[in-house]
Amino acid sequence: MIIIGENIHVIAKDVSVALRERNMQVIQALAREQTQAGANYIDLNVGPMKKDTEETMKWLVNCVQEATDLPLSIDTMNPVATEAGLKFCKKRALINSASGKTDSKAQMLPLAKKYNCDVVVSVMTDKGMPPEIETKIESIMETVSHANELGIPNEDIWVDPIILPVSTAGEGQRIAVGNLEFIKIIQDVLPGVKSTVGLSNVSNGIPAHLRPILNRTYLVMLGRNGLYSAIADPLDQELMDLVKGKMPKVTDLIYKVMDGEEVDLASLSQEEVAYVKTASVLMAQSLYSDAWLEI
Amino acid sequence: MEYKAPKEAYKGAVREVTIGKGDKTMKVGGENILPLHFFDEGSLPNPPKFVLEVLDMEPAEKTPHLMEPFGDVISDPIKWAKKCEEFGVDAVCLTLASTDPAEKDTSAEAAAQLVKRMLNEIKKPLIVYGSGDEKKDAEVLPRVAQVCAGENLLIGPVQKENFEVVGKAILDNGHVAIAQSPLDINLLKELNVKLCKFLPPERVIIDPLSSALGYGIEYSFSLIERVKQIGIITKDSMTMMPIIANLGNECWKTKQAKENKTQGLLWEGMTALSLYLAGANILILRHPETLKLIKETIGR
Repeated sequence: MIIIGENIHVIAKDVSVALRERNMQVIQALAREQTQAGANYIDLNVGPMKKDTEETMKWLVNCVQEATDLPLSIDTMNPVATEAGLKFCKKRALINSASGKTDSKAQMLPLAKKYNCDVVVSVMTDKGMPPEIETKIESIMETVSHANELGIPNEDIWVDPIILPVSTAGEGQRIAVGNLEFIKIIQDVLPGVKSTVGLSNVSNGIPAHLRPILNRTYLVMLGRNGLYSAIADPLDQELMDLVKGKMPKVTDLIYKVMDGEEVDLASLSQEEVAYVKTASVLMAQSLYSDAWLEI
Repeated sequence: MEYKAPKEAYKGAVREVTIGKGDKTMKVGGENILPLHFFDEGSLPNPPKFVLEVLDMEPAEKTPHLMEPFGDVISDPIKWAKKCEEFGVDAVCLTLASTDPAEKDTSAEAAAQLVKRMLNEIKKPLIVYGSGDEKKDAEVLPRVAQVCAGENLLIGPVQKENFEVVGKAILDNGHVAIAQSPLDINLLKELNVKLCKFLPPERVIIDPLSSALGYGIEYSFSLIERVKQIGIITKDSMTMMPIIANLGNECWKTKQAKENKTQGLLWEGMTALSLYLAGANILILRHPETLKLIKETIGR
């Protein structure tokens, strides 16, 4: 599993201040920590970036490249900022992200061809997020075929089904299950494409101390279904251990829940029980509540 | 070829809850079919119950066509409650509106004594609602529970901010809790999980909040419907409790209900009928003519 380190993110206050004040130390420390923790890419989430776009991107990309040899993921919806960043990337970069929206197809996708890099393509369209798995598949096929016409091969495209919070009244769990299915069948539908997700969105809106176990469990589940990469927190040691196969018993338990097998909780440690319960909630086997671990 | 209608059997069932004691009891819940699915396998042993609401103070807003059926008893909650009994209710609901710090801030002790007096005077089971102010309810409702110990009253609202203290008093003094959450199924389940760590689930009724027609009834309808489905179809233990729809006051707050009598009765009646169809087990109304109207409509 390819991990795209998510920690350089403008929503984090220290990052947005560092960007504004051109504080290299803060940014480089984040890049180094994630590199040491085993990330494969460093995501640079700069938001819409309406001001000083060119200059800020140049500074940021160079600043991070001084601290790490990892390739970069340029994460913004603004194609001008994307291009400004791509110009300075030393390694083959990842555009994060394009979509099926008209503007994105016209301005973002062609950059992948122009700069010969990989590109995340989400299922979003002008109509918003397709509600059902069938419509997600339809939408992504359309956008990928458009990309192919621009000369971008499937192998350079990382499809993103868009993860939503599991806690949103009722719908969240259905969507979590649907995205597992999406990842499972995408290789049959579009052979050769890669895939990615914004993992931590699955736990958005729930109490902070409960978020890691949801993220970890969902990543194991997606990984089993063939997920190629995830934008995630490499500083979560347990998440990285799971990804690297260092926790085979927990992984096996999560698989059992996915297969609908009965798991005897009495024989398990508290930590293992928590993973089983979390997998069960993510499979929508029981209704979500913030008290899911307490039942 | 003979047509055979499909017949579903469900694995879950709503818990049967008894409210009151002696000859003043009522049973709610117990069904193992979805609302009105009489064609499926299972039964509805206890049809939904209809309740009229009494306030412990004269209503601040005196809508004439809402006050009229009660005449001068409206200044005396006990007489008001007795009047409600004449209209053929299954239970009486006393709302301790005056305990709200924003109203008269009536003391917990005075409120509890009123509940006790009413309990002795009426012949039907009693439901007690606090003002909804989480802090004040945390004083008032435990005192009510103590003063009426052993009477198996239905007491609420128990909310996430005060469930520990109010729930404990309900447990210790032998009552049933109304667990109230703000129109969200995930929060509803969370409160039940936390409450049922110390209170047996057979002593919990769900109040999902009931919005009036035109003021968000769709949310209440689909929430009640979904709680029933998850409880009865998927057998989720934490949603298999009966549901109370406290809708009367919500309806009579609306401009439309206050405008004129026919519109008011229909506003309350349509709201009640909709939530009845969604699966509510107890419905709290304000106007006796709505009670009559809805009983005629559903043929009871």
